[in-house]
Amino acid sequence: MTQPYSRPNTIESQNVDLIFAPGAGVFDLTYTVPEGSILGMIGPSGCGKTTTVRLALGLYTPQRGSLNVFNRPPSTFRASDREMIGYIPQQFVLYPNLTVSENAAFVASLYGMRGSAIKQRLDELLAFTDLTEASNRLASQLSGGMQRRLMLTCALMHNPHLLFADEPTAGIDPVLRGRFWEYFRQLRDEGRTLFVTTQYVGEAAYCDYVAVMRKGRLLAVDTPEALRRRVLGGEIIHMTLEDPSRVPEALELLRRYEHVQHADLLPNTNNQLQVTVEDAGEWMPEVLNLLEDPTGPGIVVSSAEEFHISYDDVFIKLMEQEEAANG
Amino acid sequence: MAERNATTPSMLRQQQAPVYLRWLLRIYAFYLKEVNEIRRQPLLILSLIGGPLLVLIVFGASFTGSNPILRTALVLPPDGLQGISEEQLRSLAGLNFQLLDITTDRASVEAKLAAGELDVIQVLPSNIFDSLQRGETPQIEFLSNAIDPMLEGWIQYLAYAEVNEVNKAILTQQTTEAQQEATSIKIQIADMRGTIEQLEGDLTRAEQARIQENISNFRKSLAEMQTQLPNQGMHGQIDIAELRADITRLDKNLAEIEQAISDGEIQQRLNEIRLAQQDLDELDGYIQIFIDTPPDVVVAPMRQSYLNIRGSAYSAVVFYAPGVLALLIQHTAITLGALALVRERRMGAFEVFRVAPVNMIQLLIGKYLGYILFIGLSAATLIVLLRLIGIPLHGSLILFVALLLLLTLASLGVGFLISTVSGSDSQAIQLAMITLLLAIFFSGLFISLDSFATPALFVSAIIPMSHGVSGLQDLMLRGLAPHPQVWIGLSAISLISFLLVVLITRRQFQRA
Repeated sequence: MTQPYSRPNTIESQNVDLIFAPGAGVFDLTYTVPEGSILGMIGPSGCGKTTTVRLALGLYTPQRGSLNVFNRPPSTFRASDREMIGYIPQQFVLYPNLTVSENAAFVASLYGMRGSAIKQRLDELLAFTDLTEASNRLASQLSGGMQRRLMLTCALMHNPHLLFADEPTAGIDPVLRGRFWEYFRQLRDEGRTLFVTTQYVGEAAYCDYVAVMRKGRLLAVDTPEALRRRVLGGEIIHMTLEDPSRVPEALELLRRYEHVQHADLLPNTNNQLQVTVEDAGEWMPEVLNLLEDPTGPGIVVSSAEEFHISYDDVFIKLMEQEEAANG
Repeated sequence: MAERNATTPSMLRQQQAPVYLRWLLRIYAFYLKEVNEIRRQPLLILSLIGGPLLVLIVFGASFTGSNPILRTALVLPPDGLQGISEEQLRSLAGLNFQLLDITTDRASVEAKLAAGELDVIQVLPSNIFDSLQRGETPQIEFLSNAIDPMLEGWIQYLAYAEVNEVNKAILTQQTTEAQQEATSIKIQIADMRGTIEQLEGDLTRAEQARIQENISNFRKSLAEMQTQLPNQGMHGQIDIAELRADITRLDKNLAEIEQAISDGEIQQRLNEIRLAQQDLDELDGYIQIFIDTPPDVVVAPMRQSYLNIRGSAYSAVVFYAPGVLALLIQHTAITLGALALVRERRMGAFEVFRVAPVNMIQLLIGKYLGYILFIGLSAATLIVLLRLIGIPLHGSLILFVALLLLLTLASLGVGFLISTVSGSDSQAIQLAMITLLLAIFFSGLFISLDSFATPALFVSAIIPMSHGVSGLQDLMLRGLAPHPQVWIGLSAISLISFLLVVLITRRQFQRA
């Protein structure tokens, strides 16, 4: 796993198994979440994301492997450990007959906050989640998106170091999903660690680390860019040659160049090439120089740009690779 | 997105309460949450307080007594009843048998009984007095089509009472006739005394024959009187059975005198003649007492006397008020308790509580406190309203409050227990309703516990309301401290239910 941050790990999971029935459960979970980062766990419904969260929360105990959160197995959490954790479960579990403020105050009191501290914190967080005007509204009168924001407010009331959010963006519109990720990144920037599960593959882009899960197994855990590179074998440059007749010559030059991992004509075109390099930003000028060198081949490239594969495609390719690897 | 001034963790640590206070704060969180949730439901509050009071007032205003009025038809024998008027028949039937029909057509009223138009048919026998004289026991037949066991019990009791009244009327009439006969016998006794005295002197054969005839006639009168004497009865010195024995003995002596006259052995039988004179004197005394005694006293010598040392019993509305209060407290507490945990378990709140630094004891104590406050306010309001309609509280106010508190705790325990075993709100409500039914039948409020077999007493003992009704009636209506059994019973239910709830909820908590 690529380590862009040199911070201590808040969560460390090593070869963790929890098997409910043959083929049902989570298997061989190995991942870490560095302090002050966002780990996004992506996978289809029922793949084991919630079970993974529950293991880290101490609601389940691993049958095999080692799992530490704040350097302690979750099953041995003390009250002081729990006070550092916030949790947004998948379903709405707040009280419909209480107002927004009362719900938040209730959760804050569970974490031992004083009344004066609750009020101050509540004002901050309602502003943060744009719920100030709804503070006296009953939870039952909130829209689905507002209920989600209320859950976020409640989970943050005691200012946790580590926040678990189990599919917080499920079933809400894309605009609100974007805002949620803004909230999460802001929390991350304040130094908090976030463990967020989602079914939306595109949300991987907002995470510092992405764990791809399928059928209870982690297919990959890495930074979003590293994942993309892993799927494609590097980064891709798409370039168009002015003269189609020079395509064979260009391909031959590129394939011989040591920093080009792969070069091909794009299907259904006669002058567009796909070139795979380790780092597009670093090697694109070199590749262009190689082709256009006036003292050399002098092949005119009319356009060149880095090709960004979507995370949906990354996810699909990872699945395909996993299936191919397992026969 | 709004701008935000982030609070640092260290600042928040300072805002957190000390560790020992956090434990109480968590209880307070659950307490406040319950209070806020309940106060948002004014209709619930209104129905819980206003409902029982309204029912009690309507009950008090409309309750007229527990004796049923039975629609009755009287079937007379085909030849009718000689000497008894319709008015007398109605009077004998009593107030509970409302005579709608007096007929000789039994089949028609039986059809009405089967159709539910009548509650009771009474079939009277023919020739009651002839049957009695023949030594038979005439029978009044009572027919009903009751489906209500309580009503059937009432019919049987009222039938018994009516037959008793009829028997008493017959005996009174017989006694009156016997007293008339006794008056003439008394005159004959005086004559007979003189006649027998003559036997001690020298008599001609003709005089002996006349005396013998007088004795024979007197014996016939005695026999007539025997038949007219009531079968039973006693008043002061008069005992009908003893009177009968005296008459029999006199008759036997007179028969011997008759025989002595026939045998010409009067002088040898003077001893019997003197005994007969003593018997005549004794009989004369008895007959005088018999004549002087009113017939109804002879028939029913014992009368009842009743005194309620507190003046009188309470009205039904006052008597049932403590029970209604106990019922309100139990039902409210059980319903709230039954829904308390099942909702949170099903909505997933247990999972959130497990992640948070709270434990299940804090959860339960917080909920108990919240519900106790609400039930306490409801009960206080109801008590004020009850006082306004004249329901007394003669006992100690401190004991009263303590009893209500213990009743609330015990009922909440039962409610929470229901909550732990219920899979849904509807199941919890159903179980709460079953508990209500159990309380109505087995608490002793409406049906006395003496009416049940021993196993039912165990059921009664585990219902908080059974103890509550007993304790509240003693406190409110008698001014007495509740029996120790009340305190022990409620304390045991509270403690055992709390322990069971803790055990079961802990397991559910761990599985959340």
